[in-house]
Amino acid sequence: MAIDAERARRVKRSAVLLGLVAFAFYAAFILMAVLGLRD
Amino acid sequence: MANTAAHDATHDAHDHRPQGLKRWLYATNHKDIGTMYLVFACVMFFLGGAMALLIRLELFQPGMQFLDPAFYNSMTTMHALLMIFGAVMPAWTGLANWMVPLQVGAPDMALPRLNNFSFWLLPFAFTLLLLTLFVPGGAPAGGWTLYPPLSLQAGDSFPLTIFAIHLLGISSILGAINVIVTIMNMRAPGMGLLNMSLFCWTWLITAYLLILVMPVLAGAVTMLLTDYFFDTAFFTAAGGGDPVMFQHIFWFFGHPEVYILILPAFGVVSEIIPTFSRKPLFGYESMVYATASIAFLSFIVWAHHMFTVGMPLAGQLFFMLSTMLIAVPTGVKVFNWCATMWKGSISFETPMLFAIAFLFLFTLGGLSGLMLAIVPADFQYHDTYFVVAHFHYVLVPGSVFAIMAAVYYWLPKWSGRMYDEKIGKLHFWMSAIGVNVLFFPQHFLGLAGMPRRIPDYATQFADWNMVSSVGAVIFGFSQLLFVYVIWKAVRSGETAPQRPWEGAHGLEWELPTPAPYHSWDTPPPREVITKGAMH
Repeated sequence: MAIDAERARRVKRSAVLLGLVAFAFYAAFILMAVLGLRD
Repeated sequence: MANTAAHDATHDAHDHRPQGLKRWLYATNHKDIGTMYLVFACVMFFLGGAMALLIRLELFQPGMQFLDPAFYNSMTTMHALLMIFGAVMPAWTGLANWMVPLQVGAPDMALPRLNNFSFWLLPFAFTLLLLTLFVPGGAPAGGWTLYPPLSLQAGDSFPLTIFAIHLLGISSILGAINVIVTIMNMRAPGMGLLNMSLFCWTWLITAYLLILVMPVLAGAVTMLLTDYFFDTAFFTAAGGGDPVMFQHIFWFFGHPEVYILILPAFGVVSEIIPTFSRKPLFGYESMVYATASIAFLSFIVWAHHMFTVGMPLAGQLFFMLSTMLIAVPTGVKVFNWCATMWKGSISFETPMLFAIAFLFLFTLGGLSGLMLAIVPADFQYHDTYFVVAHFHYVLVPGSVFAIMAAVYYWLPKWSGRMYDEKIGKLHFWMSAIGVNVLFFPQHFLGLAGMPRRIPDYATQFADWNMVSSVGAVIFGFSQLLFVYVIWKAVRSGETAPQRPWEGAHGLEWELPTPAPYHSWDTPPPREVITKGAMH
């Protein structure tokens, strides 16, 4: 049971982390375009 | 093993399988979701295929025969979008859904409800995309690459297309998160990463690619959207923007996307060739490292798609050489597949036939890719039918053949029934002949200078276009055999044994056939994992 709870935590944590990585790439490329054009 | 199998069989007898429409709408079982992905991909494959047949119908003879030029452009654009995002990618996700939990000894995907959401986004996304065929101005017609300024001249289809791409991007990212989280957290105790099947390995790497590049596509189309509706000027030169920047951003997504479509195929072929050669896979670890190397290199080659926009010599050299470098890990793979077959006791069942055809024809597509990597040559070949021939060799006898090989290979495990080998082989030979008659002449057309994305052409190109269209008809209609053979197997095929292929290794073959609705509720024992992981 403890192992299951720990695994559920790890699953949630890694899913959120990967989602954040995806969002960071989305935002970063738009930001890069904005900054690039300003130059 | 016997204990595990017995446990699963008993469990299956009293499993709680939902019935009716709810089973599919609220599906959280990886097998049900996998099946839905595969059926969806099949429907999109036939829709996209029908569009391809319309294109080839128009190109059968020079002159304008059947299609309005704007509609023709919509057909090339929609064909690509449907085939890439609607057929090949969902087919791989469907196969991942079915096979990853079975192969890593997990009871299901790590995030089953997210899995349901990922799938159900797709029908909505593609309904939006297909609706564009009926809006004023027609469906998008600027090519699947959506290059501005052309794409910004679209009519009412524009917001629908952008929204559809966002939805299917979200679906892919969520699906990829699920695969990574499943593989990293749900492997059976005792299963190290280097005990995993090659299919799981290639999918793991593919999933990382998806997470890194789908948001980049989303960013690019978001900027297109704001250029269109909110008067920003990211890509409009008149406002100080740069249309070439879109190409850089698009291909930063687009080249890894090519590997997203082909890496899982490498995994499937790496499962099938050892099985039917009755030998372990040659160079398992080098296969893993080669896959990772290809994935890494895919991020630093994007500008080879756009040599003709003009770039500094250093840029041309860098992108040419980095592109050529991909031939090294790819060569490792091809060598390993050949070495696996070497002195093997080979039999030629349908999955093996498709895998061998993949090996020859994907390599051919790779070689024409090397030709395109050479900058001065690319200046000649760019936007000709040579490019069309190249990427269709990679995607059709590459990805699509591997998907078909996978379906033939695992269908007995999924359905508990064997397919009709005679019809399977007929399907293979019709497809193999059709695909070559369809795409090989397109190399000649391209080298002779026929541009792509045109509904009419000079009469000098007439003969090979006619041959190509005949090939399209052979290939297209022979796919009906694929549907028939699956339908026949599921309806009335012979009962499949637990391990229908003599040389098959892998955890999935340790389960009863058909795989129980709930499998690996109890993780497989270590000795089963060791036995299954015989590479």
